[in-house]
Amino acid sequence: MKKLFALFLIVALMLCMVPAAFAADDEITLDVIICQYGPNTNDWFLGKGMDGSNFVEKFEAANPGIKLNLDVVSWNDVYTEVDTRIANDNAPDILNIDVFANYANEGLLMPVKDYCPEDLFGDFFPSFIDQSVIDDTVWAVPDLASARALFYNVDIFDEIGEEVPTTWAELQDVSQAILDYYDGEIYPWGIDMTTDEGQAAFAYYTWGNGGGFVDENGDWAVNSAENVEAIEYAISLVNDGYTNPNPATQTRYDLQDMFAAGKLAMVIAPNQLPTYVADKGGEINMATAGLPANEGKTSSSVGVMDRVMAFKDDSAPDQAARNEAIGKFLKFFYDPENYVGWVSMEGFLPAVNSAVEALVAADPTFEAWLDVLGGCQFYPAAKAEWDQVKQGVIAAEQNALTGADVQAELDALQAELTK
Amino acid sequence: MNTGLNRTKWEPYVWLLPSILLIAIFVIFPILIVFKLSFSEISKAGVIGGFVGFDNYVEAVRLPAFKTVMLNTLWWVLSVVILSTVLGFIIALVLNQQFHGRKIARSILVFPWATSLVIQASVWNYIIKAEYGNLNNVLLNLGIIQQAINWRSSYQIEFVWECWVGIFVTVPFVTFCVLSGLQSIDGSLYEAATMDGAGFWSKLRNITLPMVRPSLTVSTVLNIIYVFNSFPIVYTMTKGAPAHKTDTMITYLYMLSFYERRKGPATALSVIGFLILCICAGIYMVSVMRKEEEL
Repeated sequence: MKKLFALFLIVALMLCMVPAAFAADDEITLDVIICQYGPNTNDWFLGKGMDGSNFVEKFEAANPGIKLNLDVVSWNDVYTEVDTRIANDNAPDILNIDVFANYANEGLLMPVKDYCPEDLFGDFFPSFIDQSVIDDTVWAVPDLASARALFYNVDIFDEIGEEVPTTWAELQDVSQAILDYYDGEIYPWGIDMTTDEGQAAFAYYTWGNGGGFVDENGDWAVNSAENVEAIEYAISLVNDGYTNPNPATQTRYDLQDMFAAGKLAMVIAPNQLPTYVADKGGEINMATAGLPANEGKTSSSVGVMDRVMAFKDDSAPDQAARNEAIGKFLKFFYDPENYVGWVSMEGFLPAVNSAVEALVAADPTFEAWLDVLGGCQFYPAAKAEWDQVKQGVIAAEQNALTGADVQAELDALQAELTK
Repeated sequence: MNTGLNRTKWEPYVWLLPSILLIAIFVIFPILIVFKLSFSEISKAGVIGGFVGFDNYVEAVRLPAFKTVMLNTLWWVLSVVILSTVLGFIIALVLNQQFHGRKIARSILVFPWATSLVIQASVWNYIIKAEYGNLNNVLLNLGIIQQAINWRSSYQIEFVWECWVGIFVTVPFVTFCVLSGLQSIDGSLYEAATMDGAGFWSKLRNITLPMVRPSLTVSTVLNIIYVFNSFPIVYTMTKGAPAHKTDTMITYLYMLSFYERRKGPATALSVIGFLILCICAGIYMVSVMRKEEEL
């Protein structure tokens, strides 16, 4: 009886291996990691969120011979997940994330030209593609973008009879007027210098003063006179009581909550803010404006972009077939029939021209945001030291909030970057 | 006869083998890997390179925030463990008395312990929010304050709040450990002491404390380990901000690894933390065992 059972087990195991052996010849499986942008991401890729079906089912039906092993991973876990997989020599074939420079610099990525069909490559906004270039090679393609603008509570401004500020001096005057009128019940200006997004605050103020992360040659210049002046100005807004009280721990979402509750008059936020406020049950009469800049300087909004990239896999038996499969994945994802639904569902801005027409037709406000996006500056994420700079400027801001000297903080960071 | 003797020799080890194997795979092997990584070069993307000696340890110790983080960790562990032990002990004494609703009181005490730490920290975040926080709302409605107070006006105060949440979630564990010890004390000891004229403090010092010492030892050692390794409270409430001034070692090494992508120093720090814990637990256990032998 025992022998019979053992024989049965062996036969069963062998039968299980048969499909795998056949599959190995003509089927390619792509490991894909997608970041979770919102509550619908999982449903769209793996559930029933795509007209009763999902992306994986539809892709596999349209592309026989290619299987997707797709995981939707939260932003909190994605870096841990990817790093662990890389350390175990098990990097995904396709990764959707924000950063790429470390992976490219360490030779883990394939150049985009190796797998992206030419007609699709020509469809991406060129200014977006430029953000993923290192040494004249494009290492990733954008999947979506968002742009930041100043949102203000129209009712508050009507009540106090002031115009929306366009300069730093006007911002101080308006903030004082709001403080006086509402006796401190409403914070005039939202500021986020948290560990998550303090780099955005650095960008808002330094770009609005003619400074920035890098100089005109593209070299790090975090301690320029313009930057020091800009951060000192931002800290002075906090110290003068014009902002939310705890900028080091109050995230953008906290600020958006305050704005939705009518406790904050002005906030710099992405284009999804109206949807966010509506979801929170807020009924705020809001409008957008450009970011205030220093006198004589021009403001520049911040564009935020995420990417899709493909990792090398030397163990793949047929590299050309694998590259072709990755290309088919991209073609299917960016097909307007699929991509428009994805971008509009998550409330982001598109990265390809072919989606614009359909998105504008569905929501006329998109056009204005595309204009804003056209004038945006992006973080220098293609530079290898970006992670260090990002955390460095956040630490400098947070130390400045506790009384440290801005010049000394930024000098120390610059010295670390140039040593 | 001989076979029987041999069997009694190796049989216990066979029964222990599954546990030993599981411990080796899930505890010892990962610890050894971390030790190995701490002496290896690790790239920003996570690629593991060659042996670099003590470079990661030197880099970790030279980081500007290292001293602040170590001091924070010391304060965090001492304050949470000591205060939760004292409070837990007092509550256990109260709950050991006969009173109406004792069972309900004991059940309520389990709630902070049974709820996840992330939820606890998030709830306290809402309670102490300056804007529409529960604490301010209650005080405003009662007319105790006229304007909302910023309960997190400096990083020192934020760190105190983190410690408070740590104490709040640790007290139930201590209480139940002590309570189990109290319930095992023979009531006749107290009766005899009362007849001999002993008061409350005398009974506490000479009967209660010596009898619950084993329970306190267990809860203190476990708490030192749990509190030292606690991640969710600090991460949820401040993420170590501003500039690591409210970080403890565990949250700091996470930030180093996954925000600053300095994985080498982060691994070195985790080994340092492991060794510190081993030393603390070792010293405490040895001293307690000596005292028990003296008794």
